Amino acid sequence: MRRKVLSVMLSLSMAAGLMASVPMTAAADEEVQEITWMFWDDLDASEDNITKGFKEVIDRFNEDYDGVYHVTPITTTLEEYYTQLNALVDADQTPDVFIVSPGPNLTDYVAPGVVAPLDEYLEEDGWKETFSSDAVFAQQTYDGEIYAIPLNIAAACVFYNKEIFEEAGVEVPETYDELLEVCEQIKEAGYTPITISAGTAWCLSMLAGYLCDREGVDLAAINAGEESWNNEKTVAAGEKLLELSQYFQETAAGDSNDDATAALYFEEAAILIQGSWAIGQMNGANPDFEEKCGVFQFPAIEGGNDPNRVIAKSDSLAMSSSTESPEACIALMKYFTDDEAQRYTAEVGGKIPVTKVEYDASVAPAQLADVMDIFENATGTFGFYNESLVSSDAGAEFDNHMVAIFQQEETPEEAFQAVEDWYVENGYR
Amino acid sequence: MDHKKNKKPVKISTVLIYVFFLFMMVVYLAPLVWIGMTSLKTRAEIYKSPFGWPEAFQWENYAVAWKAGKLGIAMLNSLFVCVITLLLTMIIGSMAAFAIARMRWKLSGAAMIYILVGMMIPVHCVLIPLFVRFAKLGLTNNLWGLILPYLTFSLPTCVFIMAGFFRSIPNDLLESACMDGCTIYQVFFRICFPLARTGLFVTGLMTFVGNWNELLLALVFMSDDMKKTLPVALTKFVTPYQTNYDKMFPAIMIAIIPTIIVYSLFSNQIVDGLTAGAVKS
Amino acid sequence: MDKLLRNKKAIFVFVAPALILFTAVLFIPIGTSFYYALCDYDKVTRSYSFIGFGNFINLAKDKDMFIALKNSLFFLVFSCVSQLIMGLLLAALLTNIKVGRNLFKNVIYLPCVLSSAALGLLWAFLFHAKVGINNLLANFGIQGPAWLYSTSGFITLPMWVIAFVSLWQYVGQSMMLYMAQISGINKTLYEASYIDGATKMQAFRYITLPLVKPMIGTAMSLNAIGSLKFFDLIYSMLGDKTENLKMDVLATFLYRTGFSSKGGNHYGKASAIGVILVALCLLATAIINKLFKTENYEM
Repeated sequence: MRRKVLSVMLSLSMAAGLMASVPMTAAADEEVQEITWMFWDDLDASEDNITKGFKEVIDRFNEDYDGVYHVTPITTTLEEYYTQLNALVDADQTPDVFIVSPGPNLTDYVAPGVVAPLDEYLEEDGWKETFSSDAVFAQQTYDGEIYAIPLNIAAACVFYNKEIFEEAGVEVPETYDELLEVCEQIKEAGYTPITISAGTAWCLSMLAGYLCDREGVDLAAINAGEESWNNEKTVAAGEKLLELSQYFQETAAGDSNDDATAALYFEEAAILIQGSWAIGQMNGANPDFEEKCGVFQFPAIEGGNDPNRVIAKSDSLAMSSSTESPEACIALMKYFTDDEAQRYTAEVGGKIPVTKVEYDASVAPAQLADVMDIFENATGTFGFYNESLVSSDAGAEFDNHMVAIFQQEETPEEAFQAVEDWYVENGYR
Repeated sequence: MDHKKNKKPVKISTVLIYVFFLFMMVVYLAPLVWIGMTSLKTRAEIYKSPFGWPEAFQWENYAVAWKAGKLGIAMLNSLFVCVITLLLTMIIGSMAAFAIARMRWKLSGAAMIYILVGMMIPVHCVLIPLFVRFAKLGLTNNLWGLILPYLTFSLPTCVFIMAGFFRSIPNDLLESACMDGCTIYQVFFRICFPLARTGLFVTGLMTFVGNWNELLLALVFMSDDMKKTLPVALTKFVTPYQTNYDKMFPAIMIAIIPTIIVYSLFSNQIVDGLTAGAVKS
Repeated sequence: MDKLLRNKKAIFVFVAPALILFTAVLFIPIGTSFYYALCDYDKVTRSYSFIGFGNFINLAKDKDMFIALKNSLFFLVFSCVSQLIMGLLLAALLTNIKVGRNLFKNVIYLPCVLSSAALGLLWAFLFHAKVGINNLLANFGIQGPAWLYSTSGFITLPMWVIAFVSLWQYVGQSMMLYMAQISGINKTLYEASYIDGATKMQAFRYITLPLVKPMIGTAMSLNAIGSLKFFDLIYSMLGDKTENLKMDVLATFLYRTGFSSKGGNHYGKASAIGVILVALCLLATAIINKLFKTENYEM
């Protein structure tokens, strides 16, 4: 009996092995230039609209270039993404094209020469002219050379539930003090004023970043060592973070990003501060919510900085400097920035396109128009704080101390002093 | 007083024992029943009434999860890797265990320690050096690249348990085999190996289960969708921006049901094997 | 016979495959890792430079390391003690009943063969801040505790939750080992003791316990090593939240230091944590073996 089972299992597994090796041999066609593209979400399993759009781009590319180029996606989860990418780089198997966040993460690959500069390709065939402005490359430029192609821009805004606002009898707040007032009244009306995730630290850190910027914190000066992290403005921002935290949902400390977003679209909470990528998720999960959802600019702090600055983030593609088929890589990148892909980005993905493409605003999610409005009226953009510091480690350190302020383990002074200490210990002073 | 024959009066202690075990059954089975129920709900329902009976059975959750997660190919990959590893572990492991437990050589103690130290090494320690080495040998995105480390990490437990079994084989048995003129290979393959089959069954199960469930190595070594194993395929449903509960729970079910079926079929043998073999004979 | 068992060639044939595999796949990479532990990894140049014990000195000052060590030791002690008590209790009770014995023992052993990653996702949902057990409690107007995100106390609530989940999952293993040992005890020993007027408790205390003692050593060593290497369950239940929730154990701290997207890539420091982890495993096993080393009783 047992032997029989064993032999059945063995033959099954051999069949599995045979089947598994079929795609390998089929792909060994010499004519076709094979490249790999690495991404942090699964193209088939994901429900993220941007991911679905990327899948369309990949399929379209493979179809159009059938017999000439072929791209194979390598996908992981976001949590494992850099782990696996770094492992591939260390093993000299860098993917030909891969997605990367601008800022220190990109720097980690630019500095050792893992990725190639792209200027010469951008200058050809007027590719660069198709982009909405040269400013979209700002975060991807190192010493005047562009190392990655942005694919879309997401702006961090304040999403709110219009019905709850009406019920509580409050208007969109324009200043921080008004925001506090609004929160207080929403609380009295029996709703959670603000839903946020402190379990996923970058969400809380995004709010902290906005507060810092509105207070007028000069990040460049701090990074350059001209100012200390522990200054009046950062501490004031930290105190406001603490002040706002009394209006967070009770489970904020443990909620993931998903949970926090769900509280908004299930209409338990009134306000969510989040990137515009959340639009697709909210409308997908609760279609009724689309028309109830309003968007406003993060409020101003009186006596602080220009209130029309917006946190913006882009997904970018970099090309391995050791790729054997740069033409194929560039052709692929151009597919990501062509009109079809960019139109999709706006109309379905809910992110801001990077090119001058025309799109139909009426089919795009209702919230996108508001986001576009905020973005176009912005006097300047800045990155996520944790992606704008001297290194990705510094960003992680910043995130953690913001969470510590929220959990009241550290006072704002202590927290920012700790970040400053980290800069000193790691030789950035 | 005879503690087993005296059946007539039902003792309070016996009743208490049964109450206790019924409670344990609930603790053990309720989560599994619950996950089966939840896997048939819509996502909104999962959030709104996680414990209620499904409003309508969403059987298509399974189809969607199966297709989107490419669970079919993942299951075949897992099966291939685990069966090969299982067979190799049993053969290589019990040969080493026999040599260490029964044969007489100076370094047998040292060899045992050498192998047992392997039990204490977390796989994280060797992840990066191993990955770099394997990548250069073309063993990443190759199922054999998983089989080798799985085999290595399964060996210590196998050697440890099998050595116990071989030690418990009576000396007389080996001596009479010698008298009959058996070679050492015959002693091992014809006498000791079959005698220790309960042990093999137990180690086989542990090896298979351990590797079937292994996540970390598979995650880092297999980036090609066609080479992913089941646990890696599972992690896909926890995506960067949202958790697809309505796909994740069916996928978990698909992943654990085969294990539960195999276990139900063999559990008595597995459990008896452990019970009978570990100390007696 | 003696000559047969001293056959050098046969010994070589038997042991070589295992030892070669071990050396190539485990010990050479481990050696590399030990060397990395003494190096600083430069992210920019992707190279290692020898710095001696710098990583260890930094770890000694690192409060995250203190948390990870504290939590790992908690898991170690909790799992050794709880598995011993629960495992023995279940085994002793099961050997006392006939009807349903197989069913009970098979069900309790079941989670041992299921994937920790899958079960972790399940339990994470059940202990979710709102939708799991707390949803059930909310129906009765009770506000459920912060199962998985409370950060107060020396040993935090999430630590206890995860410790109990791991007890739930793995106690079957200990139970099986003890049952194997108990059922190996000669029945006449018990019968003799009952004739002498011993109660069941006394029989357990004076017969079962001493005879099970060698197995306690084995089971506990397995528990100790398993709990120090503990990773899958905590990772699938908390994901990348371990740091902010002060829930790191050594294995997650190692993983996050070495590989996480956020603040990772410190291969040198991660390797140093690995070295400490291996040293702890060796130490724990040595201590347990010392405590439970007994001459085998005749059964």
